[in-house]
Amino acid sequence: MSDRITLTLRAPLARPLDADAIAPDRLAALDAQEVSALQLRDGRVGVPLGDVFTVTGERSSSLVIDGDLAQLHGVGTLMSAGSLTVTGAIGNALGARMRGGAITVQGSAGDDAGSAMAGGSIVIAGNVGDRAGGALQGASKGMTGGEIIVRGIAGREAGARMRRGILYCASCGDSVGVGMIAGNVIVSGAIGENVGAGNKRGTIVALGPVRIPATYAYACTYRPPHLSLMLLSLRKRFDLPVDDAHLHGLFRRYSGDLAEIGKGEILEWQASP
Amino acid sequence: MDIRGVHIDDTFAEAFGMRGVRIIITAKNQKWARESANKLTGFATSVIACKCEAAIERDLTPGETPDGRPGISVLLFTMDSDSLPKRVIERIGQTVLTCPTTACFDGLPDAPDRIAIGKPLRTFGDGFQGSKMIDGQRYWRLPVMEGEFLIQEMFGKAKGVGGGNFLILAESADAALDAAEAAVDAMAGMPGVILPFPGGIVRSGSKVGAKRYKTMIASTNDAFAPTLRAITKSDLPEGVNSVLEIVLDGLDFRSIAKAMQTGIDAACRPGVHSITAGNYGGKLGPFHFHLQKIMGGDVEDGPT
Repeated sequence: MSDRITLTLRAPLARPLDADAIAPDRLAALDAQEVSALQLRDGRVGVPLGDVFTVTGERSSSLVIDGDLAQLHGVGTLMSAGSLTVTGAIGNALGARMRGGAITVQGSAGDDAGSAMAGGSIVIAGNVGDRAGGALQGASKGMTGGEIIVRGIAGREAGARMRRGILYCASCGDSVGVGMIAGNVIVSGAIGENVGAGNKRGTIVALGPVRIPATYAYACTYRPPHLSLMLLSLRKRFDLPVDDAHLHGLFRRYSGDLAEIGKGEILEWQASP
Repeated sequence: MDIRGVHIDDTFAEAFGMRGVRIIITAKNQKWARESANKLTGFATSVIACKCEAAIERDLTPGETPDGRPGISVLLFTMDSDSLPKRVIERIGQTVLTCPTTACFDGLPDAPDRIAIGKPLRTFGDGFQGSKMIDGQRYWRLPVMEGEFLIQEMFGKAKGVGGGNFLILAESADAALDAAEAAVDAMAGMPGVILPFPGGIVRSGSKVGAKRYKTMIASTNDAFAPTLRAITKSDLPEGVNSVLEIVLDGLDFRSIAKAMQTGIDAACRPGVHSITAGNYGGKLGPFHFHLQKIMGGDVEDGPT
């Protein structure tokens, strides 16, 4: 048994590979030889993991993957425990349908990070592509639990159709929270257009400037008591740059999407005069 | 045993099992947290007539509360598990929900037994309420005229100990009150313990039942009532003209024992003749707080 298993990329990837076999809880019981024998997919062709990565360590639920992995997709799919650290960039569908454990990406991630995840946490130091925390193609629900923390920029449709959980990003593209069923999206900086279209019961927190859609109606300016609880938790757990002005500040509450049931909200932080 | 000239009786306080919760109330400032806590713990001195016993445990700094605001922790106990949720729900519903700026949280997050408190209270929202899951806990947001009231859905329930006590036997009423106040001040803020009576002090200690009135659950403790010394079987030593009692409830034996140790030590001052305790020969409850053992530093866990 080792402290960790480390997968080091042998050579830059020329083609995309499906790597949904790679998750720390599935590697935890395997020796190095068994890990090397796991199958990645190049289209319809299986590729032994050992042909792509050198494997050091064995029988550990702590997994580190080294290299530029922007072409490696599906890592951490259905992960339920353990820790996964990616030292560079990672491809699409990181942590899809994950149920527990912690993923840390020191670079950026591709599209569909944390799609349909139900638990655990994904922390991305860089940017993330489109549909973070969203739904699998054709599915009605996005993430149903856990946290996605993006210290950089999230692409389009972040938190689309999410049902529960928290998605935090420094800024995001258009259509954040589109079709939200419930859950929380917190954006500390700029937000794109079409915020929260079709939102049913979700909460979108804008700590920076936001353009409120026409289908949201102003309710009041107040201190949402749950928000200080949530922001304090995020600051403590993920060392997020949440300052006291956000914790105890005033927010403008807009109810919407009124084209839907209207029980969702956009909470827009008000800087003190 | 004597402490600074005050005799410590070789006897024990007899306590019984209870069920309790710790309620964290936060507010815009300490004033409003205390307003709410004072109302919540009002008329909660004894299960004999109040159906629960409750008091403020201690003030909480913003760094100690879930939402980073000033707060107060309250302990509330009942005699059985079944009545605990009802007492907590009705009191929070009338005294915390109604109080400006407050929010309400579970103070026993590690307790494995959980009871629904915010969940039934959510219906005050008449369908406009919403919930949030934060760190695995559900919180209810109830829209109210002021804005929103936030309350945690589930609260931890713990086994507690009720009826820890000691009696201060003094030469005068003033000396008894001075000593009792000193004891209460010394015990203030000790974790896991409350003093549910007014100012933490009881002047009307009781015995079980009554000699004359069959329907009475409790009646005056005539053996310690100085005005009855000449006409009843009195337990008062010569020179004692007033007795006050301190009653303690707590989350565990050790917390109460340590508080008794602190309180008794503070009560040993001029004008106090002796310290004793109330018991029923070991028939009332399994928790026995032996005064001389406690004052000798022997603070054991659990029933003895």
